Amino acid sequence: MKPLIALIEALIFNRRVLALLLLAFVLLPGMFFAREACKELAAFSSPQQAATCTWLIEANPVTNTTLLSFTQMFILIILASNWNLTAGFTGYIDFGHAVFFGIGAFATAVLMGASRWEAWPALLSDWSFWPAMVGGGIAAAGFAVLIGSATLRLKGPYFSIAMLGTLVAMRELVRVNRDLFGGGLGLNLPVYLNRPLFYYLSLGIAVFVISFVWWIRRTEFGASLVAIREDEIGAEMRGINTTLHKITVFFLSAFLTGVVGGMWAYQNTYIDADIAFQQSRTIDMVMMSMLGGLGTVAGPVLGSAVIYWLRDVVWSNFLFVHQIFEGLLLITIVLFVPEGMMSFFGVNREGTSLTRIVRGWLKRPTVEEDSTP
Amino acid sequence: MNGSPLLEGREVTKHFGGLTALLDVDFAVYPGEIVGLIGPNGSGKTTLFDCLTRVQKIDDGQVFFKGQDITRKKPYQVAHMGLSRTFQVFRVYNRLTTLENMLLSRQWHGETLWRQLRPSQPETEQRARELLEFLTIDHLIEEQAGNLSGGQQRLLELGMALMPDPDLVLLDEAASGVNPVLIETIVERIRTLSNEQGKTFLLIEHNMGFIGDLCSRVFVLNFGQKLAEGTPDEVMNNEAVIEAYFGS
Repeated sequence: MKPLIALIEALIFNRRVLALLLLAFVLLPGMFFAREACKELAAFSSPQQAATCTWLIEANPVTNTTLLSFTQMFILIILASNWNLTAGFTGYIDFGHAVFFGIGAFATAVLMGASRWEAWPALLSDWSFWPAMVGGGIAAAGFAVLIGSATLRLKGPYFSIAMLGTLVAMRELVRVNRDLFGGGLGLNLPVYLNRPLFYYLSLGIAVFVISFVWWIRRTEFGASLVAIREDEIGAEMRGINTTLHKITVFFLSAFLTGVVGGMWAYQNTYIDADIAFQQSRTIDMVMMSMLGGLGTVAGPVLGSAVIYWLRDVVWSNFLFVHQIFEGLLLITIVLFVPEGMMSFFGVNREGTSLTRIVRGWLKRPTVEEDSTP
Repeated sequence: MNGSPLLEGREVTKHFGGLTALLDVDFAVYPGEIVGLIGPNGSGKTTLFDCLTRVQKIDDGQVFFKGQDITRKKPYQVAHMGLSRTFQVFRVYNRLTTLENMLLSRQWHGETLWRQLRPSQPETEQRARELLEFLTIDHLIEEQAGNLSGGQQRLLELGMALMPDPDLVLLDEAASGVNPVLIETIVERIRTLSNEQGKTFLLIEHNMGFIGDLCSRVFVLNFGQKLAEGTPDEVMNNEAVIEAYFGS
């Protein structure tokens, strides 16, 4: 087992491999474009050339669906990384983080003019996608500040339950508002099917979020967040404005979640209360971060990727039991790998223990025994 | 003892449910002083510290620090104003080395969030090293805090409290569980800080030798009320104090 883990570690956490992986992701839609070009060519060429084109199309595995799959994986990576920012760094386990996703989605839809409500101001309608997506992020972040200033005063399970309640309440509020949010009918966004765009957008946000979390961890701000997780009262007495720190990190995490929600809404072209405020989306975030390693930078990314593809395999092979499988997986994680997959590796890479952060400042190698986050 | 007090409490009262932990406690600490706070176990000394650093809400009365009312301020605001404390039960990060502990207790004073968006600066490390040298534990710079002896951890806590360059330091049992040689060191360092840098100390202590060596004035708390106040000699010969400590 050990050599295998060492091999995986050498493969995954190698800068060159990571750079190559990123390059591959950037170049992947190129194959999709080539495929589309072949399709066009096949229509306007001689039978012999058309045969070549058909062969090229069949040999090329990158279809619309491939791009969609990767887009969904990137979205999950972004969500898990964002969730990890509040839960892993600050220690506030949020069971309702999907509420920001839903708010981002609905705000974007309304700003793009999907609402049928006459009284809605024209100024806040018929925006183009880009400002509307940012608007979705701002709406989610604003809501995070409002709800966070109340719920972040709660500790431990009380905070988790309060956020769970927020998610459910928000879903019902949106569902009963027929004028603005379409009630049970939902909202239809302008149809725009451009897979490569959404692919690149989600890839870009994912790269940004990962670098952002990685950078936060190195700063004094990150150390303050972890100090809050370790000992909130001590941190407060040593001069950290814990409330401000908690709300700031909640704000940042909600903003990015809201932006992704907006992007998802536009890609999906239709949203309603149930799919935008899906409970399982929160569970996804929790499960993926936990599997990868709570409070690490690479953990949620690894966890999301593994669970996404595992789920794909299970879903396509065992359709009737795939949900049982997910439940079992969650239990297994909590029981057997509570520290996540990152703990398999000799050094808990990019962990957010105070040890790790401070030694980063002192430019000192970390000792193996201090590997837990 | 002239001029306005650095820290002043007026009728500070604190209840825990039906238990009165502090009742109408008045006190004043003047700049540059070293003041002792003594009293039997459970007399409310640590609760008073918690009230001063605003970890506990004050039910009634007022506290002034540097002339400002801090009765409703947040703990971090009080810390930013230059009031620092050590803890009876250590709050050091055991797995970090002494130097790293010092870095984490760095100058958070008045730092905006924006300024925190960078790694710790070399000046902070420089200051931490100087302080550790001053506190005579610089040879333990690479040692994990959890491996230090009780006395060395007390010194480390004192160092962490001094990192933000506070005006007033509250020391909660700075000498308990410390061997006599280290107590000498702690006494001498506190005196140096007071004489050379004009720092003010308020300290809880059970060791009367320690109090007698350092303090110019002593408050005695008993059952949450101020029992006596005066020089160490006066207090030690006060009949009410003797009764509270040893029974009649």
